[in-house]
Amino acid sequence: MVDYSLPSQCQLLEQNSQLKALMTIIRAKDTSRADFIFYADRIIRLLVEEGLNYLPVVDKTVKTPTGADYNGIDFKGRICGVSIMRAGEAMEQGLRDCCRSVRIGKILIQRDEDTHQPKRIEFSPWFDQLYYAKLPKDIESRYVLLLDPMLATGGSAMQAVQVLLDNNVREDRIIFLNLISAPEGIDAFVKRYPQIKIITGEIDGGLDDNKYIVPGVGDFGCRYFGTD
Amino acid sequence: MSIEKGTLTISSAGRSPWYNTDGSNTESYLIGIAGGSASGKTSVAERILKNLNVPWVVIISMDSFYNILSPEDSKLAHANNFDFDVPAAFDFETLFDCLTKLKQGKSVEIPIYNFNTHSRENRTKTVYGANVIIFEGIFALYDKRIMELMDLKIFVDTDADIRLARRLKRDIAERGRELEGILQQYTRFVKPSYDDFVQPTVKNADVIIPRGLENAVAIDLITKHVQKQLQDLPLKHRWSLAKMDYGNVLPPNVTVLKETNQIKGIHTIIRDVNTPRDDFIFYSERLSTLIIETGLSHLPFQDETAITPVGHEYKGKAFKGTICGVSILRAGSTMETGLMRVLQDVKIGKLLIQTDPRSGEPQLHYCKLPANVNKYNILLMDATVGTGAASLMAIRVLRDHDVPEENIIFLTFLAASAGLHVLANAFPKVKIVTSMVDPVLSPETLWIEPGIGNFGED
Repeated sequence: MVDYSLPSQCQLLEQNSQLKALMTIIRAKDTSRADFIFYADRIIRLLVEEGLNYLPVVDKTVKTPTGADYNGIDFKGRICGVSIMRAGEAMEQGLRDCCRSVRIGKILIQRDEDTHQPKRIEFSPWFDQLYYAKLPKDIESRYVLLLDPMLATGGSAMQAVQVLLDNNVREDRIIFLNLISAPEGIDAFVKRYPQIKIITGEIDGGLDDNKYIVPGVGDFGCRYFGTD
Repeated sequence: MSIEKGTLTISSAGRSPWYNTDGSNTESYLIGIAGGSASGKTSVAERILKNLNVPWVVIISMDSFYNILSPEDSKLAHANNFDFDVPAAFDFETLFDCLTKLKQGKSVEIPIYNFNTHSRENRTKTVYGANVIIFEGIFALYDKRIMELMDLKIFVDTDADIRLARRLKRDIAERGRELEGILQQYTRFVKPSYDDFVQPTVKNADVIIPRGLENAVAIDLITKHVQKQLQDLPLKHRWSLAKMDYGNVLPPNVTVLKETNQIKGIHTIIRDVNTPRDDFIFYSERLSTLIIETGLSHLPFQDETAITPVGHEYKGKAFKGTICGVSILRAGSTMETGLMRVLQDVKIGKLLIQTDPRSGEPQLHYCKLPANVNKYNILLMDATVGTGAASLMAIRVLRDHDVPEENIIFLTFLAASAGLHVLANAFPKVKIVTSMVDPVLSPETLWIEPGIGNFGED
């Protein structure tokens, strides 16, 4: 991705051989499901750890067991996770590993061409598409870690964001975590929601004719939940 | 204290530093004890060790180094027609190799000889960490190269009739053999061999002990001599390490995690004296996972191309080696959960190193590493690096097991700058990863300040 200049809203994880090796495992089509889950979880934890850095902090001084003062910080603001079903749910475990007892809401975005109907259907006035949302009641007062492993066109992520905004979440309090993204998706997303921080693991070449990210990882949800 | 032949004996005390402050090894003290069969070599060796009263000593018996017999020779041996009492019956090459390594302080695999099959067993006995080595055998003072390794050469000179009497008693009572057979073997092999090969080596000895174990005066004199020579070993290790002055620049082999809000926030929680135990554990595990992920990026990766499910090539990386974790107990074990999160079925070796409250010295109490540990890339874990004394000892132990310096990645939550310099000076190729560096190492308490307290206690 030499030609692509990353918008300032998008934070790429540190690109080292270690991360590259994890990506190599989850991308290979012959990787077993157990390995896929294990190594994807490792990347997801790194994404969550990076994402949490964008929460507000205040200074805090504590006494250490040696009796000295340590000038540290404390986190301000409550968080919750929101996963975009189904693939985003694969990131919930990684989030829970880093944030104990974190509340996690869910948003299901169904494409028009999809024949499967969700359990509860509402029509969004902004998109002619279907969604289901179950969110924490006090979500408007929280910072939201939005979870979706792949950012391809950005279509469903943007719809999910709109659902959050409809529920009075502040745009600048949304942190979007994904493992692999395409430049098209990042650009479209940033253009529409410039105040949202995107944390991504790696940026791929682009999309093929079927709007799949290439080289990509295949269907992340299917590989994680074993339905391929 | 009971000592089997070829067995390491460790007393309850730990092993004090056996290496120099720059990490280089000092040589172990090697005593050779020769003498005829049943002259009392083992008893003299045991008595010397008992009188020396130093921990971390070993007796190596030449019996472990018999040659593997061919099927024909083995048949002869079973019929009592094979001569085990000549130099040619021994594998001097392997013996020289083992003693050389032991003298250099390295870990050694001692063969186990099976007297029924006249071959070596598949398993070996690992001997590591002896400050004093006693090598005993009828031909201990026979091979010139082996004698050159020795700091002290002893010949136990016991009368032939006493040796024969002991041999009869031992072989009849302990091995259930017939009088006739023993005498026949004695006159055919043992006696001529003693006269031709063993007795002449008396001239190679520094000290001759007449009458063996009975000779308390001789053993006492030898002990005093050895004690005096051992006292010249380096002492006051940790304190002298702390007094060295280093600038504020960290050594090039040290990686400090980027000081993000998360790292700082987690440090605020785990350093706080009032943090509840379960929070402490949760956050130190999170931190250790981040440290380990960073540490793994120092592994030697190779290029690897994967084919993705959508049929495209992905130019990636892969690590082809095997990783072994080694935790420095107790506090280093707090990183094990984090390690298992990242590497599911990783092997974990343990080193128990504790500080002697009287001297402030680190002491090695326990060492359990996987076989062929030198074939692994090692993640060495300790919670904190203060003076660097315990970490230095741990790396020295790994080096003594032939782990290449560049294959060691040292991981820690918190380090004092001084300790990092000590490690980097001694082992510049070891990669060190820490989540934070504290500026001060208190000269009085040797605590890191502001520090984190005693990590393992919490």
